[in-house]
Amino acid sequence: MNLKSYLDLYELLQTDTTTREENRAFGLTHVVVKNRPIEQLLAWVNEHRAKLKKPLLSETFSSYLYGVTLTLTLIAFVLGFLSGVGLLSYSGHEPVNVIYFMVMVVFFPLFTMTLTLISMIRANTAQSLLVHISPAFWMEKILYFLPHKMQENLKEVKINPLLTNWIVIMRSQIIALAFSFGLLLALLGMVATKDIAFAWSTTLSISPESFHRFLNTVAFSWREYYPSAVPSVELIEQSQYFRLGDKLSEEMITNASKLGEWWKFLAFATIFYAIILRFGIYLLSVFGLKRAIKKSFLTLNGVKRLLSEMNEPIISTHSSRDEKKFMPNNDSYIQVVSSLDTSYDVVQGWAIPKAQLVVISDSMQVISPKLFEVGGGNTLDEDSEIINKSHGEVLLYVKAWEPPTMDFVDFLEELIRRVDKVIVYPVGTSQEHYKTQSKEVEVWARKLSTLNHKKVWLKR
Amino acid sequence: MGKKTLYIKPQESMVKKMNTAHPMFAVVGHPNKGKSSIVSSLALDDSVQISDTPGTTTKKRSFPLKVDGKILYELFDTPGFQRARRVLSWLEQHDVPADKKHEVVQMFINEHKEDVRFSDEIELLEPIMNGAGIIYVVDGSKPYGEEYEAEMEILRWTGQPSMALINHIDETDYSIEWKRALGHYFKMVRTFNPMETTRLQHISILESMAQLKEEWIAPVKASIKLFEKYQEQMIERSSAAIARLLYESVSTVEQLSFSSKEASKEEKEKIARNYKDKLRELEVSTQKKIEQIWNHDHLKKEQKLLAFEGMDLFSEETASVFGLTKKELLITAATSGAVTGAGVDLLFAGHTLLLGAGVGAVVGGVGAYFGFNELSEVKVLGKILGKRYLEMGPMENRNFPYILLGRAIYHTTQIANRSHALRGVIDIDMDSTFKEKWLRDDLRKALEKYHKKFRSGKEMEAEELAEYEGLIKGVLERMIEK
Ligand SMILES: Nc1nc2c(ncn2[C@@H]2O[C@H](COP(=O)(O)OP(=O)(O)O)[C@@H](O)[C@H]2O)c(=O)[nH]1
Ligand SMILES: [Mg+2]
Repeated sequence: MNLKSYLDLYELLQTDTTTREENRAFGLTHVVVKNRPIEQLLAWVNEHRAKLKKPLLSETFSSYLYGVTLTLTLIAFVLGFLSGVGLLSYSGHEPVNVIYFMVMVVFFPLFTMTLTLISMIRANTAQSLLVHISPAFWMEKILYFLPHKMQENLKEVKINPLLTNWIVIMRSQIIALAFSFGLLLALLGMVATKDIAFAWSTTLSISPESFHRFLNTVAFSWREYYPSAVPSVELIEQSQYFRLGDKLSEEMITNASKLGEWWKFLAFATIFYAIILRFGIYLLSVFGLKRAIKKSFLTLNGVKRLLSEMNEPIISTHSSRDEKKFMPNNDSYIQVVSSLDTSYDVVQGWAIPKAQLVVISDSMQVISPKLFEVGGGNTLDEDSEIINKSHGEVLLYVKAWEPPTMDFVDFLEELIRRVDKVIVYPVGTSQEHYKTQSKEVEVWARKLSTLNHKKVWLKR
Repeated sequence: MGKKTLYIKPQESMVKKMNTAHPMFAVVGHPNKGKSSIVSSLALDDSVQISDTPGTTTKKRSFPLKVDGKILYELFDTPGFQRARRVLSWLEQHDVPADKKHEVVQMFINEHKEDVRFSDEIELLEPIMNGAGIIYVVDGSKPYGEEYEAEMEILRWTGQPSMALINHIDETDYSIEWKRALGHYFKMVRTFNPMETTRLQHISILESMAQLKEEWIAPVKASIKLFEKYQEQMIERSSAAIARLLYESVSTVEQLSFSSKEASKEEKEKIARNYKDKLRELEVSTQKKIEQIWNHDHLKKEQKLLAFEGMDLFSEETASVFGLTKKELLITAATSGAVTGAGVDLLFAGHTLLLGAGVGAVVGGVGAYFGFNELSEVKVLGKILGKRYLEMGPMENRNFPYILLGRAIYHTTQIANRSHALRGVIDIDMDSTFKEKWLRDDLRKALEKYHKKFRSGKEMEAEELAEYEGLIKGVLERMIEK
């Protein structure tokens, strides 16, 4: 997991065309990384990276970042070296004031490292102001000098501000380190090639003893091992330098060779404060950046969807095949009678028991010598027998609410071969006094019209 | 009449794939008794053809419950019986002991494959002979009749486990006589209304289905679990869609370039129109998405579009139905820290005045301050490449997000609680009690924080949007019956 994979994921998600099924299949085939979202995402990026068009955004961005950082590191190194040389240059008239150098290698680093720590703590809260003071922040501004196309590419990138903050913090540490190395090199180089007389000087009234105590504190980390790298009270006394007065000529000149001893202290101070401590902060920032990348991975737009697609089962309940559209024929033409006669040759009831048939006929005021139940519980043979006994005009009651089945159609076809006229009469339930719904009768009308036979009539 | 004894070849004598890995259920019965409706509601599929014309279903259709491609159980919709008596008389010509009866059914299928007269019967018998349990559907709102006995007898011949479902297509009730008759043929008789299926009923019917065979209990239990998971997924995906809708609608910006010195009235009207159209478009497409999530993509709707006309979102009726009332808005604004400086003073004035009688005018002023009455000002942007732009958005009306959210939640709950067997037009029209049901004081406060952010036009972090989604999910979970 690094910035590069983050950017690859970012770019992949921007142009994602994977389907839910594909992602779920991926989730199922990569069980090792199940429940570890980051690793799942990384594996997904690896699988799909080939889809990205070259140059990869991540490559452009890293090479840009690398280039800018390298440039700035070099500049910082040179600047460090030059300021070291400047601070240590010895005109021969005045000795070199160690306080300036100490400010540069002890106090300035301590101050900036404190700022860094604060900005680390606050890095999570969007654009921290402190980040803006950092030199690395200005790296971004260098973007304007990049070739136009590259600029366009990078401008569209919306990196999580948390991440940019950490990138800036981390890169700043590298630059600061380079600066410190420049200083150290300048110190060693100057000491090696020149004979420098170090001295200290301040407007404040500080006795050499208390200055020694102070330096001893500063040197706490190495005074045990390299006592010679801590200036002695004597050396401090000898190297105190007053701009006005004659103390210089006397004491300093006699001890000129001793005054050079200061360099060890300065070198150790640089190594400890400007380099080792800074390196510690750098490691912290690397750690912080890692965490920030991890967090950004999970909050990237689209990641939530992707993860749920990989980890959520695909549930489906619908039919896998489409249904053929059913086209009802609406043009039902059927011969209709609107009122019944008082008597018929035969009265039949389709699946209507004889007892009920009597009641229905009674309420319809229809009489007939022959009443039969057909269909229903009869066997086919029994029905055939009834058909054989039928003749003339038949009134055939049917249950309006029951849809006409093919069984009924078979029966009707057989019946009309035998008789002269069949009036099909859909009736409602006795509870509803045989009243029907027009919808139900419509269904019967449609069915009968498919028969299209001149002997078949519908009573409605 | 003479009955044949028969000789069956041993390899044919086994019911095919009797022990298929997953449970199968065939929904069978008389035509037009709601078989397709029941399948539709159990399979959450609103594409099944349901009609009052018998014979609508002509081929059996499988509705598998699948998780990641693996079938947990399979439901079959089938055409109704058409020539039950004829089939039964064929079967009864074969005099066999009970343990051989299913083989006769298989023989019937084999011999009549090409016979169009029996195409419906074969369609419905095939899944059963492949091992499906039988779900026999009748309409309990119509009297029982002897003609059903041939169908039930045939089903008995198949030897497959079976249950009966009594559906009620009408108000009338004949279930007592039905239960008495069905009891002769089925061990289990249940009632079920596919048009008003609640989740609990769905689960309970599945549980009954599991009882048909011992080895089906575990897979059907797993299916029930899965249905719960499915609902959770749908709620989650709906809340994501709604959160996105709110964010996009509130933050969207519409631009219109003009080249003359000053924008004309028409141009100003045009941008306002475009802006509103965009908002409506967003709402409509989100609704579509949500309908798809809940498998209701074939929905026919009757619904008023988001209305801005006169934009008195603040009028008592609109505000009390959809959004917040003026007072609620003032309180929301204050408690969510949206008010600074002068706002607080106005608020106090407004607050005390709200108690008084002649509030109208003053509150109107307060309203204007909070941008109650305006959607969003039309701004003229400076020159960009020699052209000038009119701009509208982000949405400044404080009430708008609540209206939109209320509508979205209402729509989603309607969709989520709708049976997939219904084919009529759905009327999505909120009443004023709905707001009280979903919007509580603490929720209002929590929401306002995000609405404010949406309005600011700042880029939202995925994390924040997820939090907002969580709030909506909470509401949906509460509103959608479990
Ligand atoms: N009101 C009501 N109508 C129903 C119910 N079940 C089925 N229907 C209606 O009955 C008719 C036939 O339903 P369908 O499912 O196609 O029956 P199938 O032929 O057995 O598949 C349709 O018009 C349905 O809308 C129900 O429980 N209530
Ligand atoms: Mg059907």
